[in-house]
Amino acid sequence: MKTRGLHGAGAMANAFLLFCLVGSALASDAVLVPLVGFAAVCVLALASGERPTRLVPLRAFVVLFALVLFVAQALSLRTGAIVVSSPIRLTSDGLLSGARMACRFLVVLYASALFVRTTDPDRLAGALVRIHVPYRYAYLIILALRFVPFFQDELRAVRDAQRVRGIEVSVRSPRGVLRAVRYTFVPVLVSGLQRVDAMAISMKGRCFGLYRTRTLGAQGARSGWSTVAALSGIAIVGLTVVVWYCGWDV
Amino acid sequence: MWSSSSSEIDFRDLTVRYPDRKAAALCAINERIDEGDVVTIAGPSGCGKTTLCRTLTGFIPGMILAEVSGDVLLGGRSALRARPEDLATFVGLVQQDPEAQICTLNVRQEVAFGPENLCLPGPEVESRVEHALGAMGISHLCERKTTTLSGGEKQRLAIASILAMEPRVLLLDEPTANLDPRGVRNLFALLSKGVPTRTLVIVEHRVEALRALAPRLILLDGGRIVDRYPARERLDYASLGLRGGWAPTEGSESSRPSWVEARGVSFGYDEPLLHDLSLSLRGGEVLALIGPNGGGKTTLLRLLAGLERPVSGTIERQPGSRIGFVFQDPHHQIFERTVRKEMELEHPDPITAIDAELQAARLADLDNAAPLSLSLGEQRRLTIATALARRPNVLLLDEPFIGQDRRNVLWIIDRIRAVAAEGGAVVLVTHDIPLASALCDRLLYLERDAAWIGRSEDVFDRLRERGDAEFTPEAWS
Repeated sequence: MKTRGLHGAGAMANAFLLFCLVGSALASDAVLVPLVGFAAVCVLALASGERPTRLVPLRAFVVLFALVLFVAQALSLRTGAIVVSSPIRLTSDGLLSGARMACRFLVVLYASALFVRTTDPDRLAGALVRIHVPYRYAYLIILALRFVPFFQDELRAVRDAQRVRGIEVSVRSPRGVLRAVRYTFVPVLVSGLQRVDAMAISMKGRCFGLYRTRTLGAQGARSGWSTVAALSGIAIVGLTVVVWYCGWDV
Repeated sequence: MWSSSSSEIDFRDLTVRYPDRKAAALCAINERIDEGDVVTIAGPSGCGKTTLCRTLTGFIPGMILAEVSGDVLLGGRSALRARPEDLATFVGLVQQDPEAQICTLNVRQEVAFGPENLCLPGPEVESRVEHALGAMGISHLCERKTTTLSGGEKQRLAIASILAMEPRVLLLDEPTANLDPRGVRNLFALLSKGVPTRTLVIVEHRVEALRALAPRLILLDGGRIVDRYPARERLDYASLGLRGGWAPTEGSESSRPSWVEARGVSFGYDEPLLHDLSLSLRGGEVLALIGPNGGGKTTLLRLLAGLERPVSGTIERQPGSRIGFVFQDPHHQIFERTVRKEMELEHPDPITAIDAELQAARLADLDNAAPLSLSLGEQRRLTIATALARRPNVLLLDEPFIGQDRRNVLWIIDRIRAVAAEGGAVVLVTHDIPLASALCDRLLYLERDAAWIGRSEDVFDRLRERGDAEFTPEAWS
């Protein structure tokens, strides 16, 4: 079990850090806040033994989507000083807004990915129960995460089955999209629903819901990284307040 | 919680009928299972075994809609209207599909899940977890992620997580389905030594695999108990319609050309799995892949089908080769809304041929049913029938016999032999060693750092010499 960096921090400390990073990035109008937030995510990932470039899958798609957000905002917002006038008109407001949107997207995505990578969901559920969240709801987190690898595996298996049976699925036409839904998403969805049934039987068969409370698992040893995570969260919120107070919009 | 001083089970005129089926799934069941009994429930597919398990554990009618009459007494108390979570400390059910019942992300937490729901003190939970992990021989996996376990390891984890509840009755639904022969032997050795349970009820097609436990046998058919056999009685499997006692099938001389040639193939996912493997799939031949869980059998099928590319080496498929591949998990390969449409998806034959194939696969009555609503055994037969509809000359089958009764196994054998007789090559993965021995012309034993291929007897001789007797047919006869 990994204990380096945020892996060794408490689940609630990591949740607090995620809340601060995402909240600040969405609340602030300045580019600086999400930019600093993104840098913090990268530094904390490295300190936790996770390579920032490997935090999310489909990196090329993520970068492309961030670029699309930037370009769309830069082209659509016409207010502010003109930075480029030909062949297309770009304004300072448009560029700043584009940078803000792209940075927000990256912070939300990478901070969430770092949280998922470094936080044991069972401990998070335990931590939520300790702050009096009913355990039936807290365990929804674990169940949701349990289904992530399941759906990935199912999708891969269904695509392999299509190859074996010579079923071609392309989403380049409306008919192709319908075919993809029918031959890809429906089997995966049905399989997921069947899995939910079996899991419900498994949980009930082990007395889930028999009592109003349940024994909580070990909290895990407290490490200084809980403090680091909490202070990092407070720092990013502090920066947001300072930026807002000073009226900076860059 | 279900408190009782004894662990006997008493079925009294129990009848269960599903709302969408004409025939009763269970009909007037009267049976008593005493404390400490070891009982096997066997019978053809669809005979009501799983329904019996679910009624005994309160999931019918508690969670699954069905009309129920009669009664089930657990420890002398009527349990028919009890909630499943109330009965769970009395009777623990290990379901057919171990993967589907894992609900946490870590092995230790999975085993602790039940005891924690019982609000037991932390040290008691820890003690039960250690004991259950030790009993199933998976203590070394305790910090592993559940998603990284092999099928056999998941099966052991599923049993350990029920053992940790310390139920008075342990109910196992096809526990050997995903285990290799070594795993089956270890499981029953552990169960016969005495796990912390008093009564053992096992639903199983492969009755021969349970000899070590010397169980009492109850035979179900059409929802009724049709026969009972006392413990330690030698059974004639064929006359009872049970799996086992296979007669060798007649192989064909394999002088025909190869359809697929693998030369020096190496492959692995996170770590090396197959190393420098060479293999020729000859026309007219049936080859069985046997070996321990996680040895690379399914991976080899995927390589032969072209779903994976070897890290080194080559796999050549002859021009004109048509590959039919039946996955271990049948529902991945089902795409249409009815059984008939599924057959028509790629069936070049006229309707009468489809009818005949459905009839032979015992799916004719279900031709308008939604394929994904069928039982796992029925789904598997459907995927075999659709693969055969491609008229393959290379047929790859991953565990085709799981969940099949004797009659269905004989149908599959017949179809396999038909493909071979027409010059096709068949490769099948199975843990049913007596069946592999009777059916196949050659065997490939595969484990992480070894692969032996040859005539069945030669491979079995080598396994005997190495002390792996559980992979030889006499260990199960």
